[in-house]
Amino acid sequence: METYIQIIANGLMLGALYACIAVGFSLVWGVLNVINMLHGSFIVLGGYLAFFAWAQLGVSPFVMLFVVAAALFLLGFLIQYGAINRVVSKPVLLTLTLTFGLDLILYNFMNVVFEATPRRITLDLGSLGIGEVMLPYDRLLAMLLALAMTGILYWVLRSSRIGRAIVAVRMDRDAAALMGIRVNKVYAITFGISAMMAGACGALMAVVYPITTNTTGLLLGKAFTICVIGGLGSVPGALVGGLALGLIESFAGTWLGAQYAILIGSLLMLTLLMVRPTGLIGKRGYE
Amino acid sequence: MNLNKHLARLLPLVWLACAGGAGAADEVRIGAPLALTGSLADAGKKQQAAFALWQERVNAQGGIQVGARKLPVKLVSYDYQSDERRAQQLAEKLITQDKVDLMTAPFGSGHAKVVAGVAERYGMPIVAVSSSEPVHNQGYRNLFGTLAPSVGLVDAMIGHFKQNLPALKRVAVLGRDDVFPRIMATTLEKQAPAAGLEVVYSALYPVGSMDHSAALTSLKAARPDWIYVTGYTQDLILVRKQMADLGISAPVVTMITGPAYREFVDGLGPLAEGVTSATWWHWSQNNTGDDVFGSTAAFTEAIRARTGGDPDYVHASSAAALIVLQKAIEAAGSTDRDAVRAQLAKMDVQTFYGRIKFRADGMNDNRELPIIQVQSGKPVVLYPAAMAQGRLQAIGQ
Repeated sequence: METYIQIIANGLMLGALYACIAVGFSLVWGVLNVINMLHGSFIVLGGYLAFFAWAQLGVSPFVMLFVVAAALFLLGFLIQYGAINRVVSKPVLLTLTLTFGLDLILYNFMNVVFEATPRRITLDLGSLGIGEVMLPYDRLLAMLLALAMTGILYWVLRSSRIGRAIVAVRMDRDAAALMGIRVNKVYAITFGISAMMAGACGALMAVVYPITTNTTGLLLGKAFTICVIGGLGSVPGALVGGLALGLIESFAGTWLGAQYAILIGSLLMLTLLMVRPTGLIGKRGYE
Repeated sequence: MNLNKHLARLLPLVWLACAGGAGAADEVRIGAPLALTGSLADAGKKQQAAFALWQERVNAQGGIQVGARKLPVKLVSYDYQSDERRAQQLAEKLITQDKVDLMTAPFGSGHAKVVAGVAERYGMPIVAVSSSEPVHNQGYRNLFGTLAPSVGLVDAMIGHFKQNLPALKRVAVLGRDDVFPRIMATTLEKQAPAAGLEVVYSALYPVGSMDHSAALTSLKAARPDWIYVTGYTQDLILVRKQMADLGISAPVVTMITGPAYREFVDGLGPLAEGVTSATWWHWSQNNTGDDVFGSTAAFTEAIRARTGGDPDYVHASSAAALIVLQKAIEAAGSTDRDAVRAQLAKMDVQTFYGRIKFRADGMNDNRELPIIQVQSGKPVVLYPAAMAQGRLQAIGQ
């Protein structure tokens, strides 16, 4: 029985981390209809900033989280405002190509400056033991952060002025513009929020995972899979998708063997694309 | 008159072209695709540092003796960005456009295999700095590798651990489903029963795994007293961290080849303590040889001066690859591919790296491979006895 509880706990904690990775990606995809190829690099950049602040200046990653979030928001805002906004209303392939190119620049910049050496913040916090079941504190923190980020985003989108503007732009860009919303600014803020979340997630991940530029593609792939499973353009969908993928990988890894965990997750994505293309909680008709 | 004027203008160009052509013939050109960026950049840079050091030393002595002449060495290298396809394209370019005389293969069995395939097509002798059995079982005639067979690493570990901890009975194997880590995992699984070890858990995790908690939960239930994990540094750091998170330990924890790299110890901090591994070379060896470095100590000092850190097997194996190419050229008296290949095949030399003698499949037939353990934050040699710096310490005892 305790083994099953451990498997579920493993799945939920992994899922929360997956959700943390995917929330920002989903937001940009949902609002801007941009598949942001920079997302994995943003997460890794956040991790590097947190690592170097810890290694060189002794700043705790949990404090640095906020600094990284602010820095990445600014970077995301500027990238959207200065580059992506110029092509945002063009076909999706064009924005995809642009973010791909920008990602190559950021990826290679990090390779040159930080090198690809795997680095980790060795701040092992230990685990909460309940009987035989072990819950690592850093994973629990990641889980709380993912839930908090999703909750805040949900609140911002539903209740704040900027959130309503973002939702309005998502629903009808032209009508929103006619209502006086500065669409380009809303786009830039949305992209900034996405980068901010990626950066915060990266800072937290540096405590758990070795940070290396090698993982940018892997993180992007995970974000993509989670959005397809949870539902495109849906922020709660990212949370549901992340948790579902985490649980499936955990059970598949235990029952079928580690080599099948990723395969089963990919099969789930393909099955959903065939039988429920909107994802688990995505809205029909959303484009 | 006009024609003469034009010819006069062209003369310097003609002279330059001739000088360039003559220069190209007056040097030994060695091609080296290197992973200077991307996932293997760490190892690629070590390879580059060792290559540059060797080149400096050789050229300071006037170059390589080719027949009656001493020719300087030129390393022609490109960054293939840890991208397999780019490595393949650049290997072609080195052979067909840059006209290199001989080649080295990049770090890692996967990429070495691809580049060796290109070299084989052109009949180009190539020395790999880190290639395992699956690279050498392709029947390539031109491929030689400075690393010893993986089975040697596994046998040495089983023997040493059983001798020091006879109570070891149950081994759990978790390996990355990739060229070198897979062969190391399956080799242990195959060799363990003969030494009286029961394999109580065995699994391969796919490339791109971001979590090992599912596998480790199953592994924990099997209650092993030897946990044996293979993978690349970032996988091993994550596995070790998750083992601690899930409260998993065993008297012996082996991570192939984690402790051989400084970044493994740095990335784990106190969690690296007690982790064992086997490696192909360690700076505390006391080899001497007739090469540009002369001894392990001299090579170690040179790398420390250049990089600020201790060398690992990647540095040493890379320098050894160029030393054997130099020896083969000198013995052949030319850079002719067939002559150099023949000399490599019968090579038997003592170097700072140890003895190098290639088997029929091109692997280095060296058997005395060091076993190391992280003790007080540093890798310490446990075996062979001649270079031992400490004794095996069981974790948690």
